[in-house]
Amino acid sequence: MSTGSIPRPARFETWRLATIYIVVILSFTGLLMRLVNLQVFEESTWTAQAVDNYTFEVNVPAPRGIIYDRNGFILARNLASYNIVITPASLPDDASDIQSIYRELSDLIDVPVGGVVTDASLEEAKLFAACVPGPGIAQLVALQDTLAPYSPVKIKCNVSEDIARVVEENSVDWPGVSVDIEPIRDYPTGSLTASVVGFLGPIPALFEEEYRAKGFVPNRDKIGYAGVEDSLQDILAGRNGLRVVQIDVAGQELRNLEPPRPTVPGQNLYLTIDTRLQAAAEASLVQEINFWNTYFGTVRISSGVVIAMNPKTGEILAMVSYPSFENNRFARLIPAYYYEQLSQDSRNLLLNNAIAAEFPPGSVFKLSTATGAFNEKVVDLSTIVQAPGQLLLCEKFNPNDTCTDSNTRPFVDWIFEQNPEGFGQIDFQHCIAYSSNVCFYKLGGGFEDEIKQGLGIERLQQYARALGYDRRSGIQLKGEVDGLIPDPQWKRINTGENWSTGDTYIASVGQGYVLATPLQILMSGATIANRGKLMQPTIVREVTDGEGNPVELWFNSDPELFTVSQEQTPGSYQISPFTPNLKWDITVTPMIANYSCDGSVCSLDEDTLKIVDPATVEAVRGGTRLSVTDSRGTLNELFSSFPIAVAGKTGTAEYCDDVARKANRCNFGAWPTHSWTLAYAPYEDPEIIVIAFAYNGGEGASVAGPIVERVIKAYFELKAIDISQGSPTGGQ
Amino acid sequence: MTRGLSWRNFDFILLGAIVLASSFGTAMIRSAVAGNEVLQPLITRQVYFALLGVVLIFLVGSVDYRYWLALYRPIYLGIMIFLVTLTGFGQSAFGAQRWFQVGVLFLQPTEFAKIVAIIILARYFEVVQYQPRDLKWVFGAVLWASGIILMILLQPNLSNVLLLSVILAVMLWVNGIQVKHVFSAVVIGAIALASLVALSVLGVRVPFLQAYQQERIVNFVVPDPNDTYGNRYNVRQALIAVGAGGVFGEGYGHGTQTQLRFLKVRHTDFIFAASSEEFGMIGGALIIVTLGIIVWRCIRAAQKARDVAGSMIAMGVATLIFFQAAVNIGMNLNVLPVSGLPLPFISYGGSGLTALMLGIGLVESVVMRHTQMEF
Repeated sequence: MSTGSIPRPARFETWRLATIYIVVILSFTGLLMRLVNLQVFEESTWTAQAVDNYTFEVNVPAPRGIIYDRNGFILARNLASYNIVITPASLPDDASDIQSIYRELSDLIDVPVGGVVTDASLEEAKLFAACVPGPGIAQLVALQDTLAPYSPVKIKCNVSEDIARVVEENSVDWPGVSVDIEPIRDYPTGSLTASVVGFLGPIPALFEEEYRAKGFVPNRDKIGYAGVEDSLQDILAGRNGLRVVQIDVAGQELRNLEPPRPTVPGQNLYLTIDTRLQAAAEASLVQEINFWNTYFGTVRISSGVVIAMNPKTGEILAMVSYPSFENNRFARLIPAYYYEQLSQDSRNLLLNNAIAAEFPPGSVFKLSTATGAFNEKVVDLSTIVQAPGQLLLCEKFNPNDTCTDSNTRPFVDWIFEQNPEGFGQIDFQHCIAYSSNVCFYKLGGGFEDEIKQGLGIERLQQYARALGYDRRSGIQLKGEVDGLIPDPQWKRINTGENWSTGDTYIASVGQGYVLATPLQILMSGATIANRGKLMQPTIVREVTDGEGNPVELWFNSDPELFTVSQEQTPGSYQISPFTPNLKWDITVTPMIANYSCDGSVCSLDEDTLKIVDPATVEAVRGGTRLSVTDSRGTLNELFSSFPIAVAGKTGTAEYCDDVARKANRCNFGAWPTHSWTLAYAPYEDPEIIVIAFAYNGGEGASVAGPIVERVIKAYFELKAIDISQGSPTGGQ
Repeated sequence: MTRGLSWRNFDFILLGAIVLASSFGTAMIRSAVAGNEVLQPLITRQVYFALLGVVLIFLVGSVDYRYWLALYRPIYLGIMIFLVTLTGFGQSAFGAQRWFQVGVLFLQPTEFAKIVAIIILARYFEVVQYQPRDLKWVFGAVLWASGIILMILLQPNLSNVLLLSVILAVMLWVNGIQVKHVFSAVVIGAIALASLVALSVLGVRVPFLQAYQQERIVNFVVPDPNDTYGNRYNVRQALIAVGAGGVFGEGYGHGTQTQLRFLKVRHTDFIFAASSEEFGMIGGALIIVTLGIIVWRCIRAAQKARDVAGSMIAMGVATLIFFQAAVNIGMNLNVLPVSGLPLPFISYGGSGLTALMLGIGLVESVVMRHTQMEF
C-alpha cells in the first residue's frame, strides 16, 4: 500500500473516461426523451387506457312488467329463482375455515367440494358453462378469484326455496356465501294463453347491437319471442339502470363516476282476455275435436281456433289457437328438441292461427256478398230467388265466350245430396238463413234473366274490405297476415289466366281464391252485428306503471313501425287507458267505390266513395237471425232454444292444401272441408261475438257450431256470476 | 484512522442527492402500498433502512477504504460462504431463493456481494496497475470476479450476473484494456446474446436460464398482441401509468393505475412508473436527473481518488448505480426487457438500500481522502 508516493499523472486515459460519461449521458437522455414522448405526446392515448382500466358499467336489470287478464288474473309474472353464489374476496382468510364452509355447503347443495385445486382441475373446470354441474366448489371459487374476486360465482343454480333459506340463515357463519335471486318468467296459465302471451328468449346475435344500444345485456336479458311478450316488448321490458363506477384491479366498486341512471321497471299489461272464458273456449274446442276424432277413430280434426270479442268495443275476450305450446318450458332456456318439435309440426304450433294463418272462409263470407248485393240493389227484400239444388253455369274467360257443353259445369248447392230440388223459392234473408249456395252464385255472378247483373268480383272486393277482409286488423300482435280477396288483375298476375265467370261464382260463396284469417271473419261478423260499426280489435285493456296508475299509450300497427308511443301519432290508436276505437262505420264512412257501366264495360271509380245503407246492414242482420229462428236455418238446431236471441252464420269451406294433398283427400266433388261458425248475441244489442274454426272439421254447424254455442253460454254464465258478485263490468 | 480525514472534502452534493432520492422513494412506497394492509410495515422499515444508510455513509466514509482492501480475504470468504449456502440449501429446499430470513427481514446477500465484488476488483487493479494490459491481465480480473458471478449465476440471477459483468467491463475499460480485446469480447458477446435470443424465441431451453427468464426475453422481442393478462400485463400497465401521468402527474396518492392496483409490484420494480404517474414528467425527470447527479459525483470521485483502488471503488459504485437505474427505468418505459433490478435508492428493499449506502460510504471515503494528493 505504498501508492501514496506515486505522482499524480492522468491515471486514466481521458478518452476512455469520456466514453463513460458519454454512455451515461446518452442513456439518461434517451430515457428522458422516451419519458417525454410517453407523457407529453402520447398522454391522451394512455390516459384513455387508464380510464378504460378503472371504468366499469354496472347494468342493473329492470323487472319485466306483469301481464294480467282483464280481471287481474296473472298470465305472466316473474318468479324468483335462487342461485347459491360465492364471492371469493369475502371468504374468510383462514384456509381451514374456507374448507369447512365448502364441506358444509357441499352437504347442503350436493356440489362436490373439489379437493385440492390443481392446474389440471382448473383447466377442466374452465370447460363448464355457468350453472352446469361438474366442477367442485374449490375450483369454481379459485377460477373466479383470479378473474374477479369481488364478483360472485354461481355454485349451484335454481335451488329450492328451503335450501336458499338455510344458506341465508347461515350467512353469518359462511361469509362469502350468499343467495342470488334471478327472475324467471312464469306463466300460470301456460299453454292456455301461450299463443297470445308468448314467451321469452335470448337476444339474437343479429340484433345484439340494437339491443345493447337500448341498454340491454345480451346473454342476460331476455326479450319476447311471440304474443304480446314480443309485440309489446318495449313497454314490458322497462329500461335497465346503469351505473358507471370506478373499480380497482380486483373489480371492487369504489364510487360512481357518473350520476347513475335509475332502473325503470317494465309497465304492467292488462289484456282484454278473460281467462275463464279462454279456458271455456279451449275446453269446448278440445272437447269437440276429441269427440269427432274419437267418433271417426282417426285424427281428423288437427287444429282449431276460437275467438270471442265484444263487438261494441273490439275487446278480444278469448283467443284460442289449438294446439299451442307450453311457454313455461322456455322459462330458463329454449330446449332445442322442444323447439324443433314445435317448428316442424305442420300445424305451426308456434303461430297464433287466429291471426297468422289464412283459410278459405266458405259460407261465412256470404255476409260480404249479401251486403254488397243488397246495397248495390242486386236484390231487395221482396226479390224471390229460384234456388234449385244445382246450377249449370258456363265458365267464360272473355265476355264473348259462348256457352258450350265443354265449358258448362254444375255449381252445386250444399243441400243437393239431401235434397236435389234445393231450397226452392226463397227471398234474400232466407238465402242467408239457409246459406244457399245457388242463391249467392246468382247474387254474385248474375244468372240469365233472373238476376241480370250480379254483384261482380270488383264490387264484392269493395264490400269484403269494408267488412274487414283483405287487410290486417291492426291488433297488437305480430305475424298477422293479410288474407286475400282476389280480383281479375290479381289473377292475371299470379296465375297468368283471365278471370272467369266461374271464379266470381265461387268467390261469392267464399271459396276459390278467397282467403281470410279467423280474426278477419270475426270482424266481418262484428261489423254486421254492430250495425256497421267496426271496432278496432284489441288485446290490450290497460297499461299501468309500477304503482298501478294507468299510463296513456298509443299504438301504431303499421308493420313497418309497430310501435307504442306516449302521444298520438298519425295512424295510431289509443290502447291505454282503455278506449274503444272505432275502426270505421260503413254506414257513415264512405268506403265503397262507385261502379258504373258504360255498355258492357264496367269499372270502379275510386274517387267517388259511398256508404253502405243502414237498411242493408239491417237486412243482412235479419238474415243472420233468421238462420236461428227459421226451422230450416243453419243455426236453428243449436240456438232455437237458447234463452238469449242469437244470430249468426255457418261455413263449410272446401280446401285442398299440402297436408290434405299428401293424405290423398283432395278429390274432385268431395273436397275436405273446414268447419266455421260465427254467432253473436243478444241479437238486438250484441255484446259477444264468437267464431270457431275446426281444421278439416267438416260441416260448420255440426262441428264449429257446438263450440260457439258453449262459448256463448259460458259467456253469459260468467256474466251472471260477475253480476251476482257485484262486478257488473267484469265479465263483459 | 483520522489521518488524512477531511470533512471539508465530504461530498455533500452526493449526500444531498442520496437523501433526496431515498426520501422520495419512501414517499412513493407509502403511496404505492396504500390500501394494502399487509405491506404497510414496509414504509417504516424503509425509513429505518434509509436512516441506517445515512449513518452508514458517515461511518464508512470516516474509515479509510484501504482497510477494507486489506481485509479482502475474510470479506471474500464470508460472502462466498453466504452465497454457497444460499445456492446449496436454498435450492434443495425451496427452489431458487435469493435471501435469508432473519426475523421479519429478508437478507439478500447478492446485494452485498456486488459491493464485495467491487472491492475485490479494486484491489486487483491496484495490485496489477503496472503490469502490461495483456490477456493475462484481463483474465486475472475475470478470475477474481468469476467466483461471485458463478455463485449468482447458479441462483440463478441473470440480471445481477449481467450487472457484475458490466462493472468488470467498465473497470477493464478505464484501466486501459486493449481495443482489440474489446472488439473480440464484443463479437463473442454479441454472438452469445444473439444465439440466446434466437434460442429463446425458438423455444429451446438454455442452461442457467430459468424458463420465465427466457419467456421475458421472448416477450420483449416478439410481444404477443393478444396477451393482455399474461406476461406483458405488467409492462403494459406500467406504460399506461407513465403515459397517463402527463406533464404534471395525477397527484400524490391519486394515480389511478397505482392506487387501484392495476400496476403490479409498484413499490419495487415499477416504482418509477408509479412515480411518473403521480408526479408526471416533472417527477420522472427529477428521478433521472437525481440519479444522474449521483452517478456523476461517483465518477468525479473516481477521477479524484488518490489511488487506483479508490478510483475503481468509485467507478464500480457509479457503474452499479447507473446500470441498475438505466435497466430499471428502461424496463418501466418498455425499452428494455423485464428484469428484477430495483431502482437505486427509490425501490423498496432493505438489503439493496443498505448495500448501496455502503457503496456510497466507500465513495465518500475515497473522495474525502483525495486531498493528500493536493500539495
